[in-house]
Amino acid sequence: MFEKEFEQIFNIAKKRNIKDIDILLTKANSFSVKIFKQEVESFKYADSIGLGVRVLINNSVGYAYTEKLDKDAFETIINKALENAIYIESDDVVEFKNYPEIEKKLHIYYPELEKVTVKEKINKAKLLEKTARKFDKRIINVPYLEIGDEKTTTKIANSNGLQKEYTSNLTYGYTMCLAHEKEETKSGMFYKFSHNFNQIDAEVIGNESAKRALDLLEAKEIKSGKYPIIFNNEMAATLLTTFAGIFSAKSVQEGRSLLKGKLKTKIAKDIVSIIDDALLDIGFSTRPFDDEGYPSQSTNLISEGNLQSYLHNSITAKKDKTKSTGNASRSYKGTMEVSPSNLFIPNGTTRADDLYNVFPNSIEIVQLSGMHSGCNPISGDFSMGAQGFFWENGQRKYPIHNFTVSGNFLQLLKDVVTIGDNLKFNFSSIGAPSILVEKLNISG
Amino acid sequence: MLKKSLLEKILAKALSNGADFAEIFIEDTFNSSIQLLDSQIKKVIEGNEYGAGIRVFYGTKAIYAFTNELSEKSLLSAAEAVSNADIGKGNIKAIDLRKKDVLSPHKIEIPFDSIPKTDKINFLRKIDNSARSYSDLISQVNINYIEKEQKIHIANSDGLITGDTRTYARVYVSSIASKDNEMQTGSEGPGAHKGYEFFKSINPEELGEKTAKQAVTMVLADYAPSGKFPVIIGNGFGGVIFHEACGHSLETTSVAKGASVFADKMGEQIANKCITALDDGTIPNAWGSTTIDDEGEPTQKTILIENGVLKSFMIDRLGGMKIGMKSTGSGRRESYKFAPTSRMRNTYIAPGKDEFDDMISSIDFGIYAKKMGGGSVQPGTGDFNFAVAEGYLIENGKITKPVRGATLIGNGAKILNKISMVGKDLTLAEGMCGSVSGTVPTCVGEPPIKVDEIVVGGRK
Repeated sequence: MFEKEFEQIFNIAKKRNIKDIDILLTKANSFSVKIFKQEVESFKYADSIGLGVRVLINNSVGYAYTEKLDKDAFETIINKALENAIYIESDDVVEFKNYPEIEKKLHIYYPELEKVTVKEKINKAKLLEKTARKFDKRIINVPYLEIGDEKTTTKIANSNGLQKEYTSNLTYGYTMCLAHEKEETKSGMFYKFSHNFNQIDAEVIGNESAKRALDLLEAKEIKSGKYPIIFNNEMAATLLTTFAGIFSAKSVQEGRSLLKGKLKTKIAKDIVSIIDDALLDIGFSTRPFDDEGYPSQSTNLISEGNLQSYLHNSITAKKDKTKSTGNASRSYKGTMEVSPSNLFIPNGTTRADDLYNVFPNSIEIVQLSGMHSGCNPISGDFSMGAQGFFWENGQRKYPIHNFTVSGNFLQLLKDVVTIGDNLKFNFSSIGAPSILVEKLNISG
Repeated sequence: MLKKSLLEKILAKALSNGADFAEIFIEDTFNSSIQLLDSQIKKVIEGNEYGAGIRVFYGTKAIYAFTNELSEKSLLSAAEAVSNADIGKGNIKAIDLRKKDVLSPHKIEIPFDSIPKTDKINFLRKIDNSARSYSDLISQVNINYIEKEQKIHIANSDGLITGDTRTYARVYVSSIASKDNEMQTGSEGPGAHKGYEFFKSINPEELGEKTAKQAVTMVLADYAPSGKFPVIIGNGFGGVIFHEACGHSLETTSVAKGASVFADKMGEQIANKCITALDDGTIPNAWGSTTIDDEGEPTQKTILIENGVLKSFMIDRLGGMKIGMKSTGSGRRESYKFAPTSRMRNTYIAPGKDEFDDMISSIDFGIYAKKMGGGSVQPGTGDFNFAVAEGYLIENGKITKPVRGATLIGNGAKILNKISMVGKDLTLAEGMCGSVSGTVPTCVGEPPIKVDEIVVGGRK
């Protein structure tokens, strides 16, 4: 795809005597449908392309991008990138290289998904809404519900002969229900994503979201204090998502990560491991190479409580005299960063259901809010609004609300008591099983 | 951008299956940004966003498609796709587009491209120097400089053809103070619907020092107490409480679905009498102002709550059809990649009668949240959560010492009745607001307000 456009850009670069240039193109197609009261509320078709260049002049990188793919636009971005490179003062060593392919064969594109008709998607969305609404008469509304799919192609080429592309697709469904009783309204959400349309089970999603909202009704307030806390798998993943940036070597080198100076030291309980794996069999971020074209790999970040590695692109790796971990990330509109691929805490040895039996009293967290406002990724401090359940002797007693849970992420890693066996990934491709933490501050 | 005859042809194609309304939105946006970090220029990037979105309505069913290939063939095929999504009884025969220009009240004095990049970089260096020289505890300063010029054209099957150019300038400064493994940030992000004159109006030394001072104050502060206390929320960005806790629930996006606690409360007392709140898109050169909204409607000044009584929602075209009310010029979208929906512009609580000192002295034990951080609200329930970026303890009617790590949580509908005092000194603060139609520039604002009781989540 886009051979002609890439050739035009390389030719313009050649005329300007630019020796090092790198081109990244993203093409995305998506469709989504929303249903409200059994009527189609909205349809959205999206078809977008964007292209960004990096040029290297005297070891300085200039960036520019365009969504217009014609020769004039290409001339403009090359000129802008050349000019922008002049001002860069960074001591980063940037190289555009040709990297080898991975050996593993990845299954990330599913042609069957493109054969699903709009009608089938609408029907699934309608069934999803119907299921949720009829679950219980206290379900008063299903304001948010969507079935959709996305297909993305990434193509990278550089002046050192690298030329790679891949296409991936997936489909998803989610719903959010409102349950109401006696002046109290609670929400419940459930989502699923897959490469297989049949795996998006409307009845499961509808029932589960309704059940989650209902379970929170008749919530009580809780006395402030320190309690053992169980983050269910989704909320453990939310917490990890919020603090995922601390593993970036770029953040560490810029003094913006609390993991600075902690490499090869013990930062968590023995039972805690964290892995970044771009080669995972089924993952949102499974891919053959990163946004520099560097081959994908699996990286142990924390093993048995020890911080083994940061996430690197080739630039941060050079600075730390190590190898890239294949975590270069950039959108065509942005500059080169470091991001996780499929980042997760692997399953522990305890059955998730047994986490509630460890302490006589514990609090299970099932909803968190204020992740971007109540968490400080630099200090590790967090304080988030939460909802959940109070457990006593392995029995779920009652739902609780109107409280915050606060602590420090690094301390939390040290205070992990047990890890469940129910690993689940979220839309950011970050996953975790349920986790029991010895104590955290609750204020209500 | 596109010829009138082609626009008419595209709209006719979009209507060809009997749709009731068709609209095309075309955008050509120029973005430029510079980042100064580690006292070095790390990033200079420029680019164009370019594309079109076509929308049709069948009744209140909305179909949207966008593309960034603006050839006749590609646009007609997008128009065909939206038209094919349904069959309707609409009967619009011919579209005669009549140009309607709305004069912009937002004068732009100095175009960005008339200023050399080196001047812009020097401006950033002054901020950096001032922040770093404030204290040895400052370990990092991150400055992002942003220019944006968004050109839009809108045509619809009512015969409207209009357009606007929106110019935005913003600088976001974040200073980090470190002490014994602890790090705290202080940040400011002033912005305006202005050209380079905005940056000329800023004193870079003051801006740098302000962020550094906040970071240092917080790194030296003790943890905030936990529990239920009275809280004074400071002016300016403190208005984020109203934005999150009430503003989102007054958008037709949530009202039309009954997903808002205020959906059936029009004309009712929903807040303490001391509260009057507005959403004003007409403030000259304000960050959240527009000339026309993203549906081509002239922007308005909308009174949301007057003396505690609910007066209006924020309404876009489709939302208005659903609740039977007229648009308030509130249809907004991040870019052509989003269908528009009702959104806030510059939303604030109007000045009241109380003196700041009287508000503080009315509290025996509580928190003065001088500067708020970001926040979020759960749609449907109105439960909100936001961080205090710079907080102080109030003891026996006096502000005593700084406290950090506090979070305020509560419920939008309930808190409106707990605001008992409203100060005089209204200021606005700039932010980016994310919702279903993407991230758009908005201002929040308020004078200082007193909330009688709110849950404070601290570490003690």
